[in-house]
Amino acid sequence: MTDVLYLAWRYVLFHRYKTSILVLSITLIAYLPIGLEVLVSQSAEELTARAASTPLLIGARGSALELVLNSLYFESASPTPMRYEQVERVAESGQASPIPLHARFRARGVPIVGTTLDYFDFRRLRVDSGRQMAVLGECVLGARAADELGAGPGGSVVSSPENVFDLAGVYPLKMRVAGVLAPTGGPDDGAVFVDLKTAWVIEGLGHGHQNLASPAASAAVLERDGNRIVANASVVEYTEIDASNLESFHFHGDRAGYPVTAVIAVPHDDKAAVILQGRYQSNDEPCQSVRPRRVMDDLLSTIFRVRGYVVAAVVLVGLSTLATAALVFLLSLRLRQREIRTIVKIGGSRRRVAAVLASEVVIVLLFSLALAGGLTLLTGWLGSAAMRAFIVSS
Amino acid sequence: MRSHLPGALLIVGAIMTACSPEPATPKASGEDDGKLSVYVVNYPLLYFAERIGGDAVGVEFPLPADIDPAFWEPSPESIVPFQQADVILLNGAGYARWVEKVSLPETKLVDTSKSFATRFLQVEDAVKHSHGPQGEHSHAGTAFTTWLDPTLALEQAGAVRTALVNLRPQHEAAFAKGFTALERDLLDLDKRLQATVARDPKKPLVGSHPVYQYLARRYGLNLRSVHWEPDSAPDEKMWKELQKLLESHPAKWMLWEGPPLGETIDKLERLGVRSTVFAPCGNVPEKGDFLSVLRNNARNLEAVFAEEGSY
Repeated sequence: MTDVLYLAWRYVLFHRYKTSILVLSITLIAYLPIGLEVLVSQSAEELTARAASTPLLIGARGSALELVLNSLYFESASPTPMRYEQVERVAESGQASPIPLHARFRARGVPIVGTTLDYFDFRRLRVDSGRQMAVLGECVLGARAADELGAGPGGSVVSSPENVFDLAGVYPLKMRVAGVLAPTGGPDDGAVFVDLKTAWVIEGLGHGHQNLASPAASAAVLERDGNRIVANASVVEYTEIDASNLESFHFHGDRAGYPVTAVIAVPHDDKAAVILQGRYQSNDEPCQSVRPRRVMDDLLSTIFRVRGYVVAAVVLVGLSTLATAALVFLLSLRLRQREIRTIVKIGGSRRRVAAVLASEVVIVLLFSLALAGGLTLLTGWLGSAAMRAFIVSS
Repeated sequence: MRSHLPGALLIVGAIMTACSPEPATPKASGEDDGKLSVYVVNYPLLYFAERIGGDAVGVEFPLPADIDPAFWEPSPESIVPFQQADVILLNGAGYARWVEKVSLPETKLVDTSKSFATRFLQVEDAVKHSHGPQGEHSHAGTAFTTWLDPTLALEQAGAVRTALVNLRPQHEAAFAKGFTALERDLLDLDKRLQATVARDPKKPLVGSHPVYQYLARRYGLNLRSVHWEPDSAPDEKMWKELQKLLESHPAKWMLWEGPPLGETIDKLERLGVRSTVFAPCGNVPEKGDFLSVLRNNARNLEAVFAEEGSY
């Protein structure tokens, strides 16, 4: 047997270019459908893992997909905001604990997410360096956001104006970095987290300004009536919150009307989830409740349909490739007639010749399958991280 | 030779079974027997939590003793322990404005005055002054010394009990016992104050500081306030304001948050106004506890109402 294998091996090695092409072709044909299946399954798992860990999302009526993508991945356009009273409504329902989100602003392209400390417990995020944000104007950075912004504990991050031509719009706010979160491999790594109240300050709903009763502000005062002071727009507003001016920061208007982009509702149990969802079914209801897992499953079912077509196409191509390989082999047999006659003349039986030829095919197939298997394993190991990076960066 | 292996295995198996630890019984949620970490924003809430919670709670009130908790301006580092608490008891009614400017876990916050939010009082004619170690502050907005009305203090204590029971349901009976004892004390105090004021409900009084609104409403006190501090001498403008007030409101007694300066007492007496202390007890008292301070307040008020006056 060893002599058969030796001859087959020497033949394969001698015709290395032909062998390489054959091995590559068969490897691709074997790997493509399997690798695609592994990659798509892992992508689906990545996309659905975060959605599956988020029980319910409440948002303004509109695109459920946009709500989910903005709230889970902090991507896509900011959805229509809803009033903060919806957060209180969830809390007062007694069915779930609300975690508000305000994901409208950015700092040099990095999303700024306004939320409460409950979000960090919910997502199991922990501070890796520095500390958790404690006062208005502080932020904590995701691991990747810290690298992108080049900031760390003690540093600062400035919010970007939404529109450089909108002079009466949102002012940039310089925020102190209190800490950096440990990496999780998820979208939270790429975000700047602030207290919801800080997000409202960025939005202009809260501000701090010089003391209107002080002489320095006299130029800004329009009218004094007892304890009531009316000032004009020249009053100096602070663009950074620090210990010296924190006390001056305040909010105007009713907090119930302040904006949030979504509420993560964490139901106390399954029954509570159903009851809470039911409250948003009415057509008159300004808000909607969505199960992120269901929204992502709908999105993925479209992707899976496309995958099916791709796999079918690959199988067809594979069949034609195999047919071409068989043709190559048969043609090479014709070219090797002299060689075969020589083997027979020097004593090799017909069975031996067939064994040599079959061994050559087996060696090529084995190499191809080994390579395809290796590529599939590599896809399994690295595909997950690659897909995560792709999802997060897209 | 007979094999002793089966016997040896039997013996080893028996020893291992005897030595293996019992599997830990998983605790049902809420059965954590560790002390509850409770953080509060003022001393009355600390007192209520300790009276109700007993040994099941560890109550923290990490503020300096010499400042008014309502106007505390915490550093970021002093907020971190609050973030680690199991529950944070807030007074509500706009008390502790610093809460609006810090990051605390919302699910752990308990607003103890939420049940009577519709009965809050607004501070009228709030005036800013510069005085005291903390400098300028204002009482504009909602009046927040809710605990000076024992019936409202009882509602706040009820909110404290509910919060503790939600976190440690296995101690419900002990919490109920603590609450009942506290309830008895607060209602006794309420009856005592009612009886005191009933002797002369129209007696005009002056409050040195705008902190007696709920006390005044509960007992129908004929009380108007200025904005003085016990450890600061009032300036001329303040004396003039008092004199103008006394023209339409001929009070003979001024209630103080703490013992006033001797010179202030003398000058007041020259105006025919005597001084007595009715301490709000927002921070930890130097001596005694919340109840003993309020009972002392009641004693001082009894002395005021024991005096017959013409006005």
